[in-house]
Amino acid sequence: MKKITILPFIILLAGCQSITVLDPKSSTGKEQAYLIWFSLAIMAIVLLVVFILFTRFVIRYRYTEKKSEFIPQDIKGNLKYELTWTIIPFILLAVLAVPTLKITFDQSPKTEAETNTNGIHINVTAEQFRWTFEHKNSKTVHNELIIPENKDITFHLSSKDVIHSFWIPELAGKVDVIPNKELIYVIKNAEIGEYDGKCAEFCGIQHANMTFDVKVVSMEKYNQYLKQSSNQENED
Amino acid sequence: MGGIVVISVLKYKKLPVIWEFMRTTNHRKIGTLYILFGFIFFLRAGIDALFIRSQLAVPNNDFWVFQFEKYNEVFTTHGTMMIFFAATPMLLGLMNIAVPLQIGARDLAFPFLNAVGFWLFFTGGMLFNIAFFLNSAPAIGWTGYAPLSTSLFTLGVGSDFYVFSLQISGLGTIFTALNLIVTIVRMRAPGMKFTRMPLFTWATLITAFLILVAFTVLAIGLYLLMFDRMFGTKFFHGPDGDPVYWQHLFWIFGHPEVYILALPAFGIFSDIISTFSKKRVFGYPAMVLSIVLIGFLSFMVWVHHMFTVGLGPVTNTIFAITTMAIAVPTGIKVFNWLFTMRGGVLRFTTPMLFSLGFIPSFVMGGVTGVMLSVSAADFQFHDSHFVVAHFHYVIIASTILGIFAGIYYYYPKITGFVLDEKLGKWHFWLFLIGFHLTFFPMHISGLNGMPRRVYTFRVGEGLEITNLLSTIGAFTMGISMLFFFYNLFKTHKKGEKVGNDPWDGRTLEWTVGSPSPEHTFTPMPFVEETDPFWYAKLRRERIKTTKEHRASPISRDSILPFLMTITLGFMSFCMIYKWYVPAIILGAGVFSFFVIRAFHDERAEHYGKEQTDDE
Ligand code: HEM
Ligand SMILES: [Cu+2]
Ligand SMILES: [Cu+2]
Repeated sequence: MKKITILPFIILLAGCQSITVLDPKSSTGKEQAYLIWFSLAIMAIVLLVVFILFTRFVIRYRYTEKKSEFIPQDIKGNLKYELTWTIIPFILLAVLAVPTLKITFDQSPKTEAETNTNGIHINVTAEQFRWTFEHKNSKTVHNELIIPENKDITFHLSSKDVIHSFWIPELAGKVDVIPNKELIYVIKNAEIGEYDGKCAEFCGIQHANMTFDVKVVSMEKYNQYLKQSSNQENED
Repeated sequence: MGGIVVISVLKYKKLPVIWEFMRTTNHRKIGTLYILFGFIFFLRAGIDALFIRSQLAVPNNDFWVFQFEKYNEVFTTHGTMMIFFAATPMLLGLMNIAVPLQIGARDLAFPFLNAVGFWLFFTGGMLFNIAFFLNSAPAIGWTGYAPLSTSLFTLGVGSDFYVFSLQISGLGTIFTALNLIVTIVRMRAPGMKFTRMPLFTWATLITAFLILVAFTVLAIGLYLLMFDRMFGTKFFHGPDGDPVYWQHLFWIFGHPEVYILALPAFGIFSDIISTFSKKRVFGYPAMVLSIVLIGFLSFMVWVHHMFTVGLGPVTNTIFAITTMAIAVPTGIKVFNWLFTMRGGVLRFTTPMLFSLGFIPSFVMGGVTGVMLSVSAADFQFHDSHFVVAHFHYVIIASTILGIFAGIYYYYPKITGFVLDEKLGKWHFWLFLIGFHLTFFPMHISGLNGMPRRVYTFRVGEGLEITNLLSTIGAFTMGISMLFFFYNLFKTHKKGEKVGNDPWDGRTLEWTVGSPSPEHTFTPMPFVEETDPFWYAKLRRERIKTTKEHRASPISRDSILPFLMTITLGFMSFCMIYKWYVPAIILGAGVFSFFVIRAFHDERAEHYGKEQTDDE
């Protein structure tokens, strides 16, 4: 059984370079990936300890003919041991809590408008089953998001009907898009490239197809893009 | 299917048995019914899972009809049935069977109420299943998030079936929880202090308290949703309502529900690991304390399902910390189980194998749980297949392995037979391998950007291999179940009955006959330590008994519980279709059964007789 449980880890290790979320293309996503790695590392310690003890005990204390009459010693417990496995996990979690707190404070989606005016602001509207992106000169496009590289992009998200969720796995985690409530989410320093965006909250029959294309381009290209005839509709 | 059942019932003249079980209020028989119907719903939900996995086997699949609306219905029924109609009832069944025997009680405190509780679950489950045949299965996910679940966006009756069937079965669950609490607090054998109770009973007690609070919150949520859907209120949408209210209510129920599923399983594993290691549980006080702590903390963490809702950084961090805190008592339990095994003599029987399979699998699920509690990282994990992997690791490793362990372990107490060990081992290994093969790759699918609840994915997203592996794993689990069926068949065909104590057990349930008779514990045992039966056997003595009198509930057959709940079921059906006139008539019918019950106590004629039995 042990061999079987280890096999997937090998698959994981072999494939980790190409795993989307662990190889993000923005500094927001990188902080999240760092947290994932960090928590995985701490948890790997726990896993390893449990697996080693488990394997050892199962093999060492298994029933054999010789032990058929053997009555094990009657042990009620051991305060020292129990304190050990109360305090050590506590410390491990405290270590994990520090970066969690810091990054969560920075990144959590907020409700009130941000004062940061330097960045690029984009209004995102979700509805069954389509995304609408409105840029600052009110250029409006559906299901295609074009943003400049190396900027703070501030998304103002709102929904026309049910709850959706805005997710570009390569760039950053998701934020819910909720009716009657505007949420602000910031993605920092995206790298040039083409990515997939999706709706992550089940929103009805076409949920799976509620996707959009993301292009991160240079600042000049973005400005050019804004100037192109605004309110251009893609076919949908 | 139904036809075959009807024919074989008539052919083998089993009608009297069915009639007996419809009227029974005996804890073992009701427990058996709970397990039986829980298991039937488990199969239905399992077949749904195979549909899900077939649809997701390859990219851009258009497998039969399981896309779009159908896919959405299938994952909704899968999730809802697994949680409410499979896992919870099977655990309630095991509690029903084992708890009275473990504490030396003759039955649950309120046998009539117990029957009502079971039939409510049964009615709810049937109602939910009928929706499928009327082509109105709900398609809102098991979480039923508003406003999608309000009548603005799901016009048909599908979501009403969801609301009513969960409401009915939830009510039954609350009744059974109340019953268990009173039983455990009031009906313990003389000398069985709280500090001498077996851990399964302890876990049951705490679980029952969780049910009481959590299912009440769910009932309130469903009630409000019903008003939104049927009577035009606006709790969960519109300018004054808020869909996030539903999420709060749902998860204040939903998170403890996860522990309602896990804690009893922890109890079962504790008893089994101790029995088959020939050792008492390591650190009993710490084990009890951590069950209590986990139960308490489970109400403080619901927001970890809502990190992306925009409740703000302060809320997110507070709930990240409380969630991490739950890992500590859980860790204590894991190490205490390991050290229960240390120095013991481990017998790898089937129940023990399921318990051993639980430890590493569950720890893997727990570990990803801590990762999810890292709130900023959860922005990536949330609503992706990583989460699907995580919660199946937790639920299947604890609840489902626990239920199987419990069924193999208590099978003699239920039927008098021991299940075949060799087939049991096949079942275990195929299930365990299939389980890891299904769910391990889902972590990677999730990290590669696969959202949950999508019926398709494209080529080139890095999702092909992991999804194919998951599907193969799911079918392996399906095949393992065939070994279980063959085992049931073979065991009953062979028909070798066993004695009271087939496993060399430690607690009181192994002192009574197999299957457990309706009149147990005469004379009443007197308990002076934990694992009293084991230490009595070591000293080569019989267990001490006493003449002290204990309140003993009397179970008397009655068809009223069945009639009550079935009428309630028909009433709900009429409500769903807004046929208010028949609904009112049926409602009056339900009420009149209450009145009949109030004036009629079928135990009365037996009071005197029971008294003399005890002396
Ligand atoms: C026996 C093998 C099982 C398989 C192969 C399986 C497979 C799956 C899959 C693939 C999904 C994801 C559906 C999607 O995102 O589109 C899912 C969802 C789910 N499963 Fe299972 N599952 C199994 C057993 C269980 C058990 C035992 C439980 C609980 C007791 C359970 C509870 C759930 C829940 C609550 C969901 C979420 C449904 C939703 O998103 O609304 N599953 N399952
Ligand atoms: Cu969606
Ligand atoms: Cu939770």
